[in-house]
Amino acid sequence: MKKLLATSLVATAIAGPAVAETNLQLVEVITSPERTKVLQGIVSEFEAENPGTKVEIISLPWGQAFEKFATMVSAGQTPDVVEMPDTWAALYANNGALESLEPYLTSWDGTDKLNARTIEMARSGTGTAYMLPYGFYLRAMFYNKKLFKEAGVEKPPVTLDDFREAAEKVSALPGKYGFCLRGGSGGLNGWAVFGATTAGTDQFFDEEGNSIMSTEAWIKGAQFMVDLYQDGLAPKDSLNWGFNEIVAGFYSGTCAMLDQDPDALIGIAQRMDPNDFGVTTMPKGPNGKAYPTIGYAGWSMFSDSEHKDASWKLIAKLQSRDANLEWSKRVGTLPIYKDAESDPHYNTPQFAGWFEELSDPDVHPLTMPTHLEEFAFFKDSMSIRTSQEALLGRKSAEELGKEWGDYLSAAQKKWLAKQ
Amino acid sequence: MTTATDLGAHPANRQGVTSRRFLSRLEPYFYASPAIVLLVTVMMVPLVVGLTYTVRDIRILNPFSGGYVGFAHFEAVWHDQNFHNALFNTFWWTVTSLFFQFFLGLTLALLLNRTFPGRRIIQSLVFLPWAVPAFLSGLNWAWMFNPVISPLPHWLFALGILSEPTNILSDPDLAMWGPIVANIWFGIPFFAITLLAALQSIPGEIYEAASIDGASRRQQFVSITLPFLAPTIAITLMLRTIWIANFADLIIVMTNGGPADSTQIVSSYIFTQAFRRLDFGYASAIAAVLLVLLLAYAVSIIFIRRSLLRET
Repeated sequence: MKKLLATSLVATAIAGPAVAETNLQLVEVITSPERTKVLQGIVSEFEAENPGTKVEIISLPWGQAFEKFATMVSAGQTPDVVEMPDTWAALYANNGALESLEPYLTSWDGTDKLNARTIEMARSGTGTAYMLPYGFYLRAMFYNKKLFKEAGVEKPPVTLDDFREAAEKVSALPGKYGFCLRGGSGGLNGWAVFGATTAGTDQFFDEEGNSIMSTEAWIKGAQFMVDLYQDGLAPKDSLNWGFNEIVAGFYSGTCAMLDQDPDALIGIAQRMDPNDFGVTTMPKGPNGKAYPTIGYAGWSMFSDSEHKDASWKLIAKLQSRDANLEWSKRVGTLPIYKDAESDPHYNTPQFAGWFEELSDPDVHPLTMPTHLEEFAFFKDSMSIRTSQEALLGRKSAEELGKEWGDYLSAAQKKWLAKQ
Repeated sequence: MTTATDLGAHPANRQGVTSRRFLSRLEPYFYASPAIVLLVTVMMVPLVVGLTYTVRDIRILNPFSGGYVGFAHFEAVWHDQNFHNALFNTFWWTVTSLFFQFFLGLTLALLLNRTFPGRRIIQSLVFLPWAVPAFLSGLNWAWMFNPVISPLPHWLFALGILSEPTNILSDPDLAMWGPIVANIWFGIPFFAITLLAALQSIPGEIYEAASIDGASRRQQFVSITLPFLAPTIAITLMLRTIWIANFADLIIVMTNGGPADSTQIVSSYIFTQAFRRLDFGYASAIAAVLLVLLLAYAVSIIFIRRSLLRET
């Protein structure tokens, strides 16, 4: 009898910790082996700091991440924490899938240390923070100093006219082009930048939900892009160029100017001498302002998570200063902390170009209308096909602007009707 | 006693015999039923479910979708310029790929049908493309058309085929040739292997008799080889047409339907609508249209084949 009691007590003691264990599922979607390693390191620290909590990382390959994750969610296999690209956030938030992070941000001691863009972007579109950005892809202009010198361009372009002039001069060199045009996947941002710059606004819609893309001022920006391609200031192949091709086009010296986010710096810095290229603010329009796109990804919590407090702790760990800076260096984003500029990695002339752009009062970063459910299809499919048609001259810039404007206006009005 | 016994035996016998006959008649169905159940479950159920989507507004991630919309999706397909473009591309993609796959495959089969040293080894090597996953084929061919990585564009330029050593996948007038070339390479072994088997089943005596009668090689090919191959050719062409028309893998990997939808075919368009736009209702409607078109094609081929056999 005593033995039986003793055995029961021992069993109970052993079972105790097991019952208390918390299992979290973390999904990353912009996946590469190098960054998964960094993520695993941060998660290991988190597990060490929180005994009894285990985190399972699921890595979805980026090329099919959208489809795979959508299938997971529709099958009811929702994770606790997920990496949330800005282009997906509205889709999930609007369907009630994501937990609001506002209560947690209010009491987190890290909130005050974040730069203004972080909170601004977290609440983008919906006014509520359904995701917390971990870093920014702010568009800036890379330029090749050697090619500029060769072509007789004395300083980096400040205005659209400067930009066009520099492109023409470089394109006069045999086998060289002024601009690395992104005509393929991911090219929408380029059109948005030039359209917003000529239109002089960072808003995509008016109060009634009408898209500015249908306006004459915006269409001038689209025409600017079409003219660059059709006048031979960008390589003919660039009709189909995506991220890898435009970056390769820049570091190979084929084209002299590249508008890109800081993640491009990783590839370029490996292949170019830092003295041979610079980074500057995107060209300014007739009103003296620039409108670079700002994209971001962050971390979100699913509303049906059974461990919300533990999930928030994981997000807070991922977003702690040390983890965020380490992560930002790996994935190539600008960090979310105010004092990031003091970090040795970010204290360079190239990054100075970005931080200058980020703090320039005449720079109004463009946030793509990712709050719209229809936006993901627009960005990844519709805009690529139709913009290529415009570059090829099969569709006029005006027709393009109207088509895009009509599609997005309908989506915006539908969204407004739901608020 | 004798009479009673006789009368008693008959009913019992008759019942037993009837029962046995009934069971033996059902026997083949019982043996086939596991396969039939499996086929119905795996193919027919998803097909029916997919067809129900064509009249419903099914949008993944939208919990309030799913309502009945009648034939709105089919009306949208009818007016969809992108669909018509994809249909035209499907025709171009299918006919061109099939043409070269068939003739190159037949040539290969004829070559392998004669004896020469090392034939077995060469035969094995030649059939390797068929074993390579389509995704991998697509990636490799996409790289081969990239002038930064591959010598192919430069060779084409040197031969005068291209005016510049550019990537044809970036040229809307030439982009479709990229996946077509990859598909030809991928599909030649299919025709070669099936036609070789058919060639090897033709009796040698017929050729000997023809030779004795003075028939030339060309005459032998036209009068003996082709007629014997005809049924196999008809079946393989039909199967391959349907496979190629549905074969979006190479296109999605190599060009993703671009540039400017110049390589978008119906099956890759279905993929775009279902998994990019997340509109399963519309995607199912397009899929249903493709199904009807291919069924019509298959029925036509079967009808033609029967007519030809009847004439023979």
